[in-house]
Amino acid sequence: MMLPPRFHLHGLTALLLLLPSANGSDLLPPTADIPAVIDHYVDAKLQSYGTAAVAPTSDDILLRRTTLDLAGRIPTAAERTWYLQQPVEQRRALLVDRLLQLPDSAFHQRNELDALLLYNRPHDREFRNYLLWAAREDRRWDQIFRDLLLAQEAEGPLQGATQFLKSRIRQVDDVTNDTAVLFFGVNISCAKCHDHPLVADWKQDHFYGMQSFFSRTYQTKKNTIAEKLFDEVKFTTTAGESRVASYLFLTGSMAEDGTPEYTDEERKAIEEKVRNAERKDDSEIPVPDFSPRRQLVELALNDTTDLFFAGNIVNRIWARLTGTGLVTPLDQMHSENPPSHPELLDWLSRDLQQHGYDLKRLIRGIVLSDVYARSSEWTSDDEPPSAQLFAVARTRPLTPYQLAVSLQVASRNPDQWPAIDTDGDWAKVREDLENQAGGWVREFEQPGDNFQVAVDEALFFSNNARIQDDLLRDTGDRIVGCLKTIDNDDQQIETLWQTVVCRSPTPEERQAALDWLTRSDNRTSAVQQLTWALMSGPEFRFNH
Amino acid sequence: MTETDDNKTLTSVKVDTNFRLPGVAFCAAAGEQASTLYFGCSDFGVYRLESTAEKPEAVAISEQRHHSYVTGIVRRGPVLVSGSYDGSIVWWTAETGEIIHRAERAHDKWIRQLAISPDKSIVASVGDDMKTRLWDAETHAAIAAWDGYESTTPHGYPSMLYAVAFSPDGKWLATGNRTGRVLVRAVATGEPAAELETPVMYTWDPKARRHSIGGVRSLAFSHDSKRLAVGGMGQVGNIDHLQGNSRIEIFDWQSGERQHEIEDSKYKGLVECLAFGPEDRWLVAAGGDNSGFVSVYGTAETEAKLLAQEKAPMHVHDFVLNENGSALTAVGHEQGCVISLA
Amino acid sequence: MLHNSEPDVLQTLSRRGLLATTAAGLTTAAAHMGRINTLQAAPYTDALKQTDKRVILLWLAGGASQFETWDPKPGTRNGGPFQAIPTNATGVHISELLPQLAQRMQHTAIIRSLNTKIADHGNGASLMETGRVADPGLSYPDMGAVVARELGRIDSRVPDYVSLYTATEGRRKGTSGFLGARYAPMFLSDSMVPPNLTRLESVSDVAHQDRAALRDLFARAFTQTHPSETVASHQSAYQRVRGLMSSEQLFNVEHEPAEVRARYGPTQFGEQCLIARRLVEAGVPFVKVARAWWDSHGQNFETHQELCADLDHSMSVLLDDLHERGLLENTLVITLGEFGRTPKINASLGRDHFASAWSCSLSGLGIRGGVAYGKTAPEGATVVDGEASAGDLFATILAALGIDHQHEYMVGSRPVPIADFGSTPIAEVLA
Repeated sequence: MMLPPRFHLHGLTALLLLLPSANGSDLLPPTADIPAVIDHYVDAKLQSYGTAAVAPTSDDILLRRTTLDLAGRIPTAAERTWYLQQPVEQRRALLVDRLLQLPDSAFHQRNELDALLLYNRPHDREFRNYLLWAAREDRRWDQIFRDLLLAQEAEGPLQGATQFLKSRIRQVDDVTNDTAVLFFGVNISCAKCHDHPLVADWKQDHFYGMQSFFSRTYQTKKNTIAEKLFDEVKFTTTAGESRVASYLFLTGSMAEDGTPEYTDEERKAIEEKVRNAERKDDSEIPVPDFSPRRQLVELALNDTTDLFFAGNIVNRIWARLTGTGLVTPLDQMHSENPPSHPELLDWLSRDLQQHGYDLKRLIRGIVLSDVYARSSEWTSDDEPPSAQLFAVARTRPLTPYQLAVSLQVASRNPDQWPAIDTDGDWAKVREDLENQAGGWVREFEQPGDNFQVAVDEALFFSNNARIQDDLLRDTGDRIVGCLKTIDNDDQQIETLWQTVVCRSPTPEERQAALDWLTRSDNRTSAVQQLTWALMSGPEFRFNH
Repeated sequence: MTETDDNKTLTSVKVDTNFRLPGVAFCAAAGEQASTLYFGCSDFGVYRLESTAEKPEAVAISEQRHHSYVTGIVRRGPVLVSGSYDGSIVWWTAETGEIIHRAERAHDKWIRQLAISPDKSIVASVGDDMKTRLWDAETHAAIAAWDGYESTTPHGYPSMLYAVAFSPDGKWLATGNRTGRVLVRAVATGEPAAELETPVMYTWDPKARRHSIGGVRSLAFSHDSKRLAVGGMGQVGNIDHLQGNSRIEIFDWQSGERQHEIEDSKYKGLVECLAFGPEDRWLVAAGGDNSGFVSVYGTAETEAKLLAQEKAPMHVHDFVLNENGSALTAVGHEQGCVISLA
Repeated sequence: MLHNSEPDVLQTLSRRGLLATTAAGLTTAAAHMGRINTLQAAPYTDALKQTDKRVILLWLAGGASQFETWDPKPGTRNGGPFQAIPTNATGVHISELLPQLAQRMQHTAIIRSLNTKIADHGNGASLMETGRVADPGLSYPDMGAVVARELGRIDSRVPDYVSLYTATEGRRKGTSGFLGARYAPMFLSDSMVPPNLTRLESVSDVAHQDRAALRDLFARAFTQTHPSETVASHQSAYQRVRGLMSSEQLFNVEHEPAEVRARYGPTQFGEQCLIARRLVEAGVPFVKVARAWWDSHGQNFETHQELCADLDHSMSVLLDDLHERGLLENTLVITLGEFGRTPKINASLGRDHFASAWSCSLSGLGIRGGVAYGKTAPEGATVVDGEASAGDLFATILAALGIDHQHEYMVGSRPVPIADFGSTPIAEVLA
């Protein structure tokens, strides 16, 4: 059977000046406020397209949206009351600063990074504990990158960082590509087989260059990550030429090979030691003078022109908070696939780098922009504008943790919350919530591109005993139990709506709910079903 | 040949020589000369080999072959009798390889093992049709056919009848199947005299892999005919591999008392063949997984004590123990070897 | 029309009225779903959907031996102990372990020339499920998801991809990849009935039905003002709940006459084949029944005596039953694993992983029966004629179903052909 030459069209992966250089001359000044910069660039593009942004969303929805994005859960009625009491002009900033201080924010950041870095790969609690610790310590992104890639054995929470490599090291192609995708926003997998067919600068050298940083890495029998003292990555070009890969980073920068010269005898002895380290618990692990992985970390962090490292995380955080990347797909940051707002991406990347990779600063800046606060409703019969114009807020599915924690919050008796604060009982209660949510997250899919809700989820909500016996239980600690104690129908309905969808019901909804309750011959069951109807609805399922 | 001192305990198992075989040898029988060995092979042939030769070489006794693996072989004077997965039993003139008689459909499924009575008058065969058949060794006539085993396992899959052995007094015949069921019957009447169960030797994996492994692979009576050793493999975690401990159970078969349970985690896999040594002082067992072993256990004591063992050069499928118990010739996966016991 | 909800509907709420409202809401939501479609091309085979084509994949997890099934080599050094037996197709011999299937070759084509190269379980399974090498940059849908999308009906009251994998070894759930969770399998691992398909006793049928209608009512305004495929998928998932619940009885073989159940036999695989027949009969486009675990590193022959007996009986009854019901002409039965097994027999009398020259079979819909395609060398170590890749097999399966294997999905800006680049259907096995 004659097969045409293998040709990967998926390979729109090249590098090269993915991000127009951040020399700063054409950008807004670095001292500008992040929200103002965002609104400036996004509005400028909207104007150039002659498209108008929709109106800002309501206070209720913005509170819910911001709380989901910063605390990983829906707000409580008490938080809503607090929010509406704040002076209108300062409300948002006060809210954001409050949320970023709450213990919730570290849990949420941990869950987001866990989903990004090790989603779908086996790993234990140690990795999640490391990320939680890092989030609580406000550990900067460059430092997290170092922790993960250097993977040094350590006492305490840092130990968990080694799992990033341990979960992948059996397949060096996976480490190579995942590192490029997750930290640099480029998918180089297609360049394994051939140079990129469309982008001249993207060669097999880049794939194998990236691989050469990892080819010496192995897992010892003691379950530590170690590096061999020598190894070369060899590959055959499509022209049939055999090459040894250089320590080549995506920017074209290279690291010198600092491997010492070894005699054949020394090599044999070292190889024997490595073999023992791979096989025996008690053997000595040889330590190299030259660490290719460390070279990669330095090259990536010293990249002050292309900003692969900063640009990638800016794009990912932006996509997390708005639903659409400035570059999309997120792993296709290359010259053939330019950003929707190149200056904005440059400015934010520069800002992140100049402020020590402080992700909180970036997150705070984005959620305080007008772009973030737009309505997600589209009521015209016309097609909505392109998502990359950011004229309308995207409706985003909740992540498994956001959904699971929010279900816990919505199903609780709202009168029984402690004061939600940075100290006091809340930290303990929030930790319990997180643990309870852990038992639910497997029921929900992690959203990705083109995410669709599976029928499994609808069946789960419709027929699983945990919904009925846990969330909808009519005991005093639950919302259903709480509603039973309220005599007034109107008040019942108001409390239910506030608790589950974080707003008051519309008059039509109020009437429908009232009818439902009055027609019922079993009050408890009617309240349960009414609660179910809201909790299983799209308004609850999405961040909008 | 070493003299065995009656009072001396056996302490050493040593591989003296080993030799290549043309395939996997599943069964062996001694020739009229102790140094001559006959064996049945995975290339469907029956072979002769001089084990004391400088370079022992396997020579097919005939151009004619079975149609599948040859898994049972016994000798009656100048006549060899072989059984095969092809279901046939063939009588050969050992010297010339001439076929004397072929029982074409001796069994409807694979023949797993043959045994010959101590007086060489009866050949017994067992096969996956779950039948035990007796044959007049001289006239080739079918004497008896016994059932007594289910054709399927409790889980609905085909069962297998692996092992057969005569008692040295010639009165009893033991058989063992896939699920660990051992029957001892009177040779004369076929009446069951004992039913023994060795369920540990059958592993059914209901959850991970949904099939089974194991079975009774070897049987040997003591010289006084009172005890019966049963060989196989202990319970297996991952049934993709022969990963279970090699296992032997020894019964006082008439009372049904299980005297010894021996499991060896050092040498894993199936116990493929068993023999009691002179005066029943010890029991030698061999078999293997991807490699092989020979182990000797003292059986006189209340506890079956490991006396000596050695890694064999190959997975052992069968051996022939010489009369004074000083050496055995083993055959198995593409190799054979002579092992001295001292 | 986005704002077509009549306020008076809310005023006239009653149990029956509520349900009527819901039906109206359903139409609106369905209209929205077509509006935005990130995977730009809708399933392109709308006409094909009317043809009621089905697939049953018998997945021989762990890797069955080609020597002990479709490509026997008796009498060769590594051929093993089994004989080859003639079949009812002239000149085609298969292993004696499959005597019943040997009499049903008029429905079946054997492919003996797979060379798929990848011989570890995870990557091999991924390759054979998706018909291409995994790409770290793109999550491909498996065969079930592709068929569910191309042959399933959006409004179907039955699941469109059911996967049974009850053994735990090598268990894989299946993936719909970039096609999205709408096409993910209904996965049965612990029980023969899918989870959450049965109504709780504590919720009455009326309450169950009415609260779903109430839910739709409250969802309507949101769904209408948030047009997106993701939101629509949430709505359509809930709209399929009641229909799927009514398919619960499909999974219950107690509904079959005793003689039919007896015919399929006592094994779990047999019972699952019967469930598969019930499902395709009811219109489920893709059913996978995984029979684990064939990974016979030790005792290859005995393992195949057990598992081939199961396969021979269960698959034969399945083919007969489908044929007698007139379903086989609409149903493609694929018998496939992640790879075959080595010619060399190891010291544990096992065969190890081998992907360089192995076999699979296709029966029924779109297949030219009685054909043995491709050839391996006398000792079985290499393919000498008709070499076929995983992509070629995938293309062949699509061709048998009448799906253009070169049709492209648009994933973002990336065109992705359904079968891998450069793959070609094997014309010789196609009807």
